[in-house]
Amino acid sequence: MNLTKKNTNGFCILSIEGRIDTTNFNEFENEIVGIIGGGETNIILNCKGLNYISSSGLRVFLIAQKKLMALKGKLHLCEMQPTIKEIFDISGFSTIFKIFETEEEAMA
Amino acid sequence: MKEEFSILNSIDELPVLAGKIEELGEKWDLPMPLTMNLNLVLEEAISNIVFYAFHDKGKHPIHIAVQNESHEIEIVIEDSGRPFDPTSKEKPDINLPAEDRPIGGLGIFLISKIMDKVEYKRENDKNILILKKKI
Repeated sequence: MNLTKKNTNGFCILSIEGRIDTTNFNEFENEIVGIIGGGETNIILNCKGLNYISSSGLRVFLIAQKKLMALKGKLHLCEMQPTIKEIFDISGFSTIFKIFETEEEAMA
Repeated sequence: MKEEFSILNSIDELPVLAGKIEELGEKWDLPMPLTMNLNLVLEEAISNIVFYAFHDKGKHPIHIAVQNESHEIEIVIEDSGRPFDPTSKEKPDINLPAEDRPIGGLGIFLISKIMDKVEYKRENDKNILILKKKI
């Protein structure tokens, strides 16, 4: 898993590459919790490069969502691969996240 | 077609297992999304065993058999940990809003949604989890 960060139009855009699973979800959790703790409250997670997620990874998405909701912030997801979208659908996560096709739409 | 392997009850073994399933997917010419889902199901089942099945810090083998026959994938996972029936776990309410969703508890639910059949048996002091999916 690799996370790259850029700031555009008032959003902090985080691009995820690789897998988020039981072996590395801690790393993902620490990074995103650190970024929220650092004051970023409008976050876009670009999932284009995310090619595998297990329940440990979903857990971190939910933690980030809860933290940002409490701060009245935004968490937008975009460019999700169909296999990942399916996992979000079956776990009911598609209804608790705002998921956009493109990064531009996520910023609008 | 059937492949069997054993791993130890350690999270470090998960990438090894993922590699084996990917090899199997190529060998059996399975579609990529299916291979990914099989990997996911195995990760969820094995991580439960690693985290909860053993009270000691010892190394214990987990046996995994994957069979591809008559358009059905069957995965059998055996461990000698304390009795645990994942099929008895309460299903999470996936219609709750984010603020009310509990953190965690999705692993077994994902297994049950991805696979067609999930069976549990306790035999000879072993947990046996049988997962089936039509392909």
